[in-house]
Amino acid sequence: MGLTGYLIVSVMLFGIGAFGFMARRNAILMLISIELMFNAVNLSLVAFNAFLPADANAGAVFALMIMAVAAAEVTVGLALVIAIIRTRQTAEVDQYSDLKE
Amino acid sequence: MPIELLIALIPALPVVGFLFAVLVGPRFDHMPSHGHHDGNEDDSHANAAHGDDDHDAHAVDDSAYRTVPSEEEQRATSPHAGHADDLANAEGADGVIPADMSDGLGQAGHVAPGAELPRYRSWIVPTGLVGLMWVFSMIVFASVVFGGNEYEVRIYEWIASGDFTIEVSFLVDSLTAMLLLVVSTVGFLVHIYSIGYMDGDRGFWRFFAYLNLFMFSMLLLILGDNFLMLYVGWEAVGLCSYALIGFWYKKPSAAGAAKKAFVVNRVGDFGFGLGIMMLWVNLGTLSFREVFATIGSLDETTITVIALLLFAGAVGKSAQFPLHVWLPDAMEGPTPVSALIHAATMVNAGVYLVARANPIFAEAPVAMWTVAIIGVFTAIFAAAIALTQNDIKKVLAYSTVSQLAYMFFALGIGAWVAAIFHLVSHGFFKGLLFMGSGSVIHGAGGEQDMRYMGNLRAKMRWTYVTMVIGSLALAGIPIFSGFFSKDEILAEAFNRGYLVFYLVGTIVAFMTAFYTFRMIFMTFWGEWRGTKAAWDHIHESAPTMVAPLAILAVPTILAGLLLGIPPEGGIIHGWLEEVFHVAEEAHAGVLPGSIADGEHHGFELFGLGGLLLLIGAAVAVGGVLLAYRWYVQRPESAARFVDRIPLGLGPGMYRASVNKYYVDDLYGLVWARGGVLLSTALWWFDAKVIDGAVNGAGWLASMIGGGLRKIQTGRVENYGLGIAAGLVLVLVVLATVVR
Amino acid sequence: MVGAGIAVVTLRNIIHSAVAMMICFGSLAGMYALLGAPIVAAAQVLIYLGAISVLILFAIMLTQAGDANLPASFHPQGPIAAVVALAIIGLTGWAAIQADWGVMPQAAGAAVEAIATGLFTTYAFPFEIISFLILVAIIGAIYLARRPEEDERAN
Repeated sequence: MGLTGYLIVSVMLFGIGAFGFMARRNAILMLISIELMFNAVNLSLVAFNAFLPADANAGAVFALMIMAVAAAEVTVGLALVIAIIRTRQTAEVDQYSDLKE
Repeated sequence: MPIELLIALIPALPVVGFLFAVLVGPRFDHMPSHGHHDGNEDDSHANAAHGDDDHDAHAVDDSAYRTVPSEEEQRATSPHAGHADDLANAEGADGVIPADMSDGLGQAGHVAPGAELPRYRSWIVPTGLVGLMWVFSMIVFASVVFGGNEYEVRIYEWIASGDFTIEVSFLVDSLTAMLLLVVSTVGFLVHIYSIGYMDGDRGFWRFFAYLNLFMFSMLLLILGDNFLMLYVGWEAVGLCSYALIGFWYKKPSAAGAAKKAFVVNRVGDFGFGLGIMMLWVNLGTLSFREVFATIGSLDETTITVIALLLFAGAVGKSAQFPLHVWLPDAMEGPTPVSALIHAATMVNAGVYLVARANPIFAEAPVAMWTVAIIGVFTAIFAAAIALTQNDIKKVLAYSTVSQLAYMFFALGIGAWVAAIFHLVSHGFFKGLLFMGSGSVIHGAGGEQDMRYMGNLRAKMRWTYVTMVIGSLALAGIPIFSGFFSKDEILAEAFNRGYLVFYLVGTIVAFMTAFYTFRMIFMTFWGEWRGTKAAWDHIHESAPTMVAPLAILAVPTILAGLLLGIPPEGGIIHGWLEEVFHVAEEAHAGVLPGSIADGEHHGFELFGLGGLLLLIGAAVAVGGVLLAYRWYVQRPESAARFVDRIPLGLGPGMYRASVNKYYVDDLYGLVWARGGVLLSTALWWFDAKVIDGAVNGAGWLASMIGGGLRKIQTGRVENYGLGIAAGLVLVLVVLATVVR
Repeated sequence: MVGAGIAVVTLRNIIHSAVAMMICFGSLAGMYALLGAPIVAAAQVLIYLGAISVLILFAIMLTQAGDANLPASFHPQGPIAAVVALAIIGLTGWAAIQADWGVMPQAAGAAVEAIATGLFTTYAFPFEIISFLILVAIIGAIYLARRPEEDERAN
């Protein structure tokens, strides 16, 4: 399996994540979908790092950094979701339309 | 003192005079602070006007003055009174032009006995400076004309933008010197004359300020050595003309005439400006010398267009057909202004322009033809109007138009020197005639209509004698200046083979002699046709007014003898030869339509030239005699003649002439009414289409906003979908378009 | 792994989704190992499998409160979303296939030492920024997750 294979897997994972974000109504599941997309990007970065002449292992380093950011993001995101659920008593995002015009 | 310094000082002196008159002039015109309302039957009316002055209720003033027929009467209607004067003085003393310009009425004068006399002294400095300027001008004139010198005085570089360089510098050659002679002499005499004529007018200092500003502008115009300075002076004299025609600006007719003069001049000036721009674009310079040196390098079409555009400016400024309509109306201004600006100086600017630009015109035969034809047509057209006018100033105004047309006609056939000769002599005798008419109006208590005058020679001897001298010159009676200059033009036309022009010119000369002496006979001879009270009031004018008349009578008699003998080869030819030799050589009788053989015949007293002189003199005398017969001997015969014109055309022709051949009405119809219609159409277009578009844009934006508002659902997943769809769109574009 | 990913977004039960997510993350860790990036694989296991998954499960526990079965968990815009997602997959996948990646050596791998050197020399500044970001995230999460003070007093 060469670079292209990894990339296709990455793209599919990203697409699945995007679909999940757009199609699911559960806030937590939307967060999970975002994680999927993060991972897809990570995969492509590591694959590039492995197959292309990279400088100072930039791909792997960035994958690690993205993991850190994702951890931070999911922490805050979940905190937000919990806070919202606590006030709105629902995890359904299509109920959250206070910002509607 | 070097001549160059004198030349630089010549336009500078009137500026100083202007500043003086504006800044401290009001302080020199003292008016007593207590009104004296006794001794005037028009008291209540005047008081009403004064009361309103203080409260800026001008509308009342205007309506009151609509009924007042003439300038002098206005000046006489009100007792010299008024708090407003003090207000003006108080403010003027602080160096501020009074906000309440209550002097615009042109009233005052005639102080009741025992009252504190007003004094008007703001003339001292302006007139003194103009007098000094006159002395300088004469020195320069003598140096140029007799010494054969030419001066170029560079003052400073005015505009330096890239390769566009304009210098403020003066060029004095013999052409400028001739103009200088007329402008400074008549200008100085008009200043003296105005001291008497404007005495008692509240705008006394303002009048002198304008006069000085005008002198400055006119001198700039004739002294400038490039087209831009000429243009600046040109516009500045136009502005001063506007200000002085509308000097009594509370009189609606004066304000309207000022506007008319300004707007009509704008039409010509627009062409003039375009012509200057074309010169710049094609030649890259505006300096007279450089333009004239290089004009031959352009093709004839371009030169013709430039020449015609320049001529458009000349037509406007010199009141030639079809832009002649403003000059007769300009007679609403004070008579000294008519004498100075609208007879002797400013209206000559057009002639000066064409003469100055003679190398350009010499290269453009079509333009020369245009000049000649417009000149000939305007000459007979204006003379035919002047025949029937009853207002003494209107007669002179149309006469001025007609005489200026003579000059253009001379320029058009290439008789440059003759045109300038006529300009000089006309400047003197027409200035004299206007000042004389002002004296008549002044003496006759403001009456301008000749039908209510008569027998004035009994009471106004000096005015009578001087005006007759001026009229003899205008009519072209031998030994007076007009005879020589006019007959030189006619002889040139004949010699150069323009037989039709010669015939028309001769007819015009006959008409001129006729209407001039019609004016003299109606004014000074016969019976007094006005009221008895007015007759008792008539008096000879003040010495300051009569003296300029007497002084001007001298050049009127002598200019022709000194400059024009022998005919067609007088001393003036030697002076001006330098200026015109290029153009003279360019076409001596080569214009199409000429039947001359190209040889220039010298003047022979007992040959053709003498015959032409004789014809000219005979025609002039004939005109005078006809006027004498019709207006002194048998006053009813004029009307009988009108009736005797075949086919019953007589009364119609008479009416047409009195109504100035309806040109004003036509313009009123076409431009004023048409302008209103066009404006209405444009207003509709603006209201419906432009505003519609603007409102439509607003409506469209609000509709789009309303539509887009629904997109904002507040739901994250919708936004996410939008982002993803956008991403897809970008990818599609990348995949299809970019690759 | 892809199947697990699909399962994540399609399963109705959110617990099942979370488990599928863990499977997905685990297989990704394997993939990283295959690509010769053991340190990334280790981090993947530690952070995603260890920390984030647990965090998400806790969140689910906290919010769903036993009633984990949710009806109509799909949004009405699901079909459009599917089309758009497929379009993204298609276009980017096509691009990945079409692209000329130049020389393709076999996976070179990334030595732990090299990664550490890169991380602390070349990318030291982003590293510090991320450290700060995490600090901010922790503080923010604590603040958000904290019950309102009134509630605490009431309790």
